[in-house]
Amino acid sequence: MSLTREQIVEGLVKILGSDKVITDKQVLQESSIDRFRKYEDVCGVYTQPLPAAVVYAESTEEIAAVLKFANDNTINIVPRTGRSATEGGLETVVENSVVLDGSRMNKILNVDTYNMMVTCQCGVSLEVLDDMLREQGYTTAHSPQSKPLAQMGGLVATRSIGQLSTLYGGIEDMVVGMETVFPNGEITRIKNVPRRATGPDIRHVIIGNEGALCYITEVTVKIFKYRPENNIFLGYTLESMKTGFEILREVMVEGYRPSVARLYDPEDGEYYFSHFAEGKCVLVFMVEGPKAIAEVSAKEIENIVQKHAECEKVNSQLIKTWFENLNWDPKKIAEEIDEIAQTQNIGFTTEVSGNWDVIYDIYEACCNRVREEIPDITMMGGHSSHSYMNGTNMYFMYYYNLVDITPEEEITKYHYPINKIIVEETIKAGGSMVHHHGVGKHRTHWIKEEYTSSYYILETLKKAFDPNGIMNMGTIIPIKK
Amino acid sequence: MKILVCFKTVPDLEMLSEEDWAVDSNLAVDVSFVKNILNCFDESALEMTLKLSEYSESFNESLTLTALTIGDKKAEMFLKTLYALKFQKAVRIENNEDVRFFPEVIAAVIAQYVEKINNQDVVVLGRQSGEGDNAKTPLLVAEMLGWPCITQVINIEPSQEERLRVTSMVEGGTLIQVIDTPCVLSVGNAPVSYLRVPTLKDKMSYGKRAIEVLNINVFNIASLLNKCYHEYQLIGLEKISNHRAGILIEGATTAEKAKKLYDHYLKERLEKQ
Repeated sequence: MSLTREQIVEGLVKILGSDKVITDKQVLQESSIDRFRKYEDVCGVYTQPLPAAVVYAESTEEIAAVLKFANDNTINIVPRTGRSATEGGLETVVENSVVLDGSRMNKILNVDTYNMMVTCQCGVSLEVLDDMLREQGYTTAHSPQSKPLAQMGGLVATRSIGQLSTLYGGIEDMVVGMETVFPNGEITRIKNVPRRATGPDIRHVIIGNEGALCYITEVTVKIFKYRPENNIFLGYTLESMKTGFEILREVMVEGYRPSVARLYDPEDGEYYFSHFAEGKCVLVFMVEGPKAIAEVSAKEIENIVQKHAECEKVNSQLIKTWFENLNWDPKKIAEEIDEIAQTQNIGFTTEVSGNWDVIYDIYEACCNRVREEIPDITMMGGHSSHSYMNGTNMYFMYYYNLVDITPEEEITKYHYPINKIIVEETIKAGGSMVHHHGVGKHRTHWIKEEYTSSYYILETLKKAFDPNGIMNMGTIIPIKK
Repeated sequence: MKILVCFKTVPDLEMLSEEDWAVDSNLAVDVSFVKNILNCFDESALEMTLKLSEYSESFNESLTLTALTIGDKKAEMFLKTLYALKFQKAVRIENNEDVRFFPEVIAAVIAQYVEKINNQDVVVLGRQSGEGDNAKTPLLVAEMLGWPCITQVINIEPSQEERLRVTSMVEGGTLIQVIDTPCVLSVGNAPVSYLRVPTLKDKMSYGKRAIEVLNINVFNIASLLNKCYHEYQLIGLEKISNHRAGILIEGATTAEKAKKLYDHYLKERLEKQ
């Protein structure tokens, strides 16, 4: 028989003590959602089942004890750290869930500048960590837009990627080892070595699990030398996205590795670049690293771009200023809430990826369909921001006016239909429906189409590691009705 | 009723980093690398006027809205947006002179536009811009036109018989007045601070109309401009230090620190409320 809310809280207090178990209504309401339901938050209308409690663990042992208690009593656990999730991963869709917050586990445990890695607890803020490293001449080189908010556990759990990924890779390329707790309370460690061939790389069972398999309590990531004095910024305006994708491809295929390689369409670019590129696409590169390599890379990338007559170079200071204003901090989020409330205009993003031969088709089909089919749309555009040897991503940005709806209808009238178009067009073209935000709870509908026959592996992992179904149910894999 | 809203686009100074605030030999800070935004008070004025237009329809009165800005071509994207938001006329007065600190010149151009080119019943402006910070233009426009001016306006609503119900901030409270036109309204720190966003369909349907461009030389301001150049001279720029004081609350436990915070800093304030 399942426990009542009161019994759940009582059990948690026994494990953690009352000061770490929060049952304040407002805290529970705000903890029942993430930024996917930001309009409900703006309106103060919360439609998800409220969790029984939000609990703050301060050690791996406390995480293990809470998970074991939940596993024994079939209580759904929603793991979280920095709360910057955007895809519903933090929504408490199961009655009487417990939000297990690791943000107080915020110690940087070891900075190893000889073996070039740093070990920290899951609640360490990426920005705090990186600022500390930069003072010593090092960096994590991980720089997502959520850097001022996100914490290390969540970044690994969602397969995060940063703005410098084209050189340094995503978080999956940076993680060396981890400590993880499984639902039965088992604490596991993957040791920190440069490489191994000892069977499957089990780090990848954990990286990107979105709290649906286990709880990441500690991570070790690579560090890199920090040499911003060598950064070179390049920017160009051009007429078409098609040309832009061709240039990105050529840069990658020829073997150059700018840290930043981005292509904006005119609609998305208008917000950032209207003062010099109105109505045009914008191509941006940043190269970094040792001075000689940075200079040669910049020169060769310029040579590639110059072969395309439609590209016009812009002053690099324009690009540097843009780059310095890219991240989202708590002030920007507070301003956004105020703006949404006043204008009743709201924006979201959906990020996908595709090989070079389909990415333009995905871009074109999604933009055309959303513009034609979605009512009250005020902006539909996007950019490519992470390129690889085989292809690139598309980060779609869309805004719409909220007309004649209740707060909860925002999702059904606008957000779901847009997501549906983007995901379906991407899968149809052979791309991946999620590039770096995670599946969360709102793209699970298409998970089988995404995985096709390999869904067997995903489903088996879930059954093996979370047999009682207590880990962030409804995330990655939909709840069976 | 014909309403003219005058607005200014300004560089988004928040985009400048600490090191970007370098003063060059011409006593200028280079802001060419940051995007332009609507001056905040002007943005309130534009949205307030659109709301007034909506309300007026329920009074069976239609307003004719004109948006006017003085500046270079960069301002046109904002004028296109205003067309898409159903402003009937969008006017740009071409100017490449630096008139940031000469509100007399700006006011003279606006007043002459109203008197000689496009008569209006109401002129709405933001109280000041973050660039010049003169806070004079609305008052000077009113003086030149010989119209009354209400300052610190935070709301405008329709009233009967070509009148407006205007709410403004005054010392110690707010004042609501029903006023006759013509008048000048200077918009202050209003709760409405963001301009609404046009749909893509409205951008296609209305946003592509031609912007009326007038050269500043068609206005009789040459002698005024000369006078300003001779009377005012920028002699120096000094950075204002904005460091804020802070206090670290000491305590053995979080509860002890919270109690000190409450007892010493919050209790008295909360009791006053």
